Amino acid sequence: MAERINLEVPAGPSSRDTVLTVVAGICARLDYSLDDLDDVRLAMDMLLGDALDLEKLETIAVQAVLGGGSMKLTAGPFHTAELRRRVTVGRDDCIDLCLLLRRTMDAVTVEGEDSSFCVVLERRPREASR
Amino acid sequence: MSGRDEHRVNDPLDLEAPPGQARSLEDEDEELQGRGPAGDSHPPRGRDESEKQDQFLLKVYHYGKDSDDPQERRRAIEARQKLIAMYLPLVRSLARRYASRGEHFDDLVQVGAIGLIKAIDRFDLERKVELTTYATPNIVGEIKRYFRDKGWSVRVPRGLQELNIRLNKVIDELVPKLQRSPTISELAEAANATPEEVLEALETSQAYNSVSLQASPNGEGGEEDAGLIDYLGGEEEAYDTMEDRTTLAPGFAKLDKRERYILHLRFFEGLTQSQIAERVGISQMHVSRLIRRSLEKLREEIGELDSPEILRASGDDDR
Repeated sequence: MAERINLEVPAGPSSRDTVLTVVAGICARLDYSLDDLDDVRLAMDMLLGDALDLEKLETIAVQAVLGGGSMKLTAGPFHTAELRRRVTVGRDDCIDLCLLLRRTMDAVTVEGEDSSFCVVLERRPREASR
Repeated sequence: MSGRDEHRVNDPLDLEAPPGQARSLEDEDEELQGRGPAGDSHPPRGRDESEKQDQFLLKVYHYGKDSDDPQERRRAIEARQKLIAMYLPLVRSLARRYASRGEHFDDLVQVGAIGLIKAIDRFDLERKVELTTYATPNIVGEIKRYFRDKGWSVRVPRGLQELNIRLNKVIDELVPKLQRSPTISELAEAANATPEEVLEALETSQAYNSVSLQASPNGEGGEEDAGLIDYLGGEEEAYDTMEDRTTLAPGFAKLDKRERYILHLRFFEGLTQSQIAERVGISQMHVSRLIRRSLEKLREEIGELDSPEILRASGDDDR
């Protein structure tokens, strides 16, 4: 059965660190390698960085669903078209948010309406750790 | 042995004096001491050859560097270069003592070399001390300053700093042993810490700075100044290979060569951080920090380039 962890913290630079620490802790629990853990942290860090720049957020909400050795992180809701565009539209020659998320995560999807959507990041460990 | 032969054997610079101007080492040494070649022709006694050579080179440098005579100035520069080359093994030896503290050995050698150069430049000929005696605290001081000033950008408890340094070493040991990146529990076990402590230490490692290898060793700017990166061997060819492609990538102009190379390996070649660490010859944690910092720079740059207004203006809005 999948395990769910809900985290909601007031929006701000320090809360970004809190989210990242919790995400790293979840990765450690799943016995992800350091490389895997750093990829997940990096993806979440850059997503929240852009979200904090573009959105007028009061809180940062992240839900982690763990099951079958993989992790699904859902961040949001977000509301700006620009953030949605940055997550979904990218170029192959540019390390923008879109390319970064796709290079570090197994799946990146956007769920919801244009006016209120969540970004879902999925990642399985790349390396057999034991 | 003729006087000319003696000159060629003893002159540490091994410079050919112009015809008719050949002077022995002793002549030059005594002239520099203000006694002139006609004075006591015996070289100083009781000093070993290396100390004598140091003193000679230091005098050639300090008395010649501001000379009006271009040849004297050239000899001065060569004397300085010779001294630097002679004392680089001392720098390496001192840098090795600090290599276990989480910074790459080559970076420490470069920083130590700055201390050596300062020692040579500031050496007071009136003080009867050996260059080794004077240079050692300068080199060590420069390395310590590097750790202090360029190290932690925020206050991190000493215990975490030490664990961070220990983790750096442990990761470097575990990656080749496991043939993969270690897990947090493996790191905790090897570093004799709890997984929570490891996570906290990894988190704080992002607060650790590093000197840009593009920075000039003397801390000054100028196009003719070589960056520290120019003194590192091994990867320049690889940097150049990827240059054509990645210098054109948006935002990459803001990054230095090594940052571009690491991002290229990670996001265009698909290498993991551990693989990049092995390829570039720095620690995995250092790669992690460099990637994050480079991405922050890119994010600022791309944020401007990628604005809807610019995309519309470039006709790229439909991508």
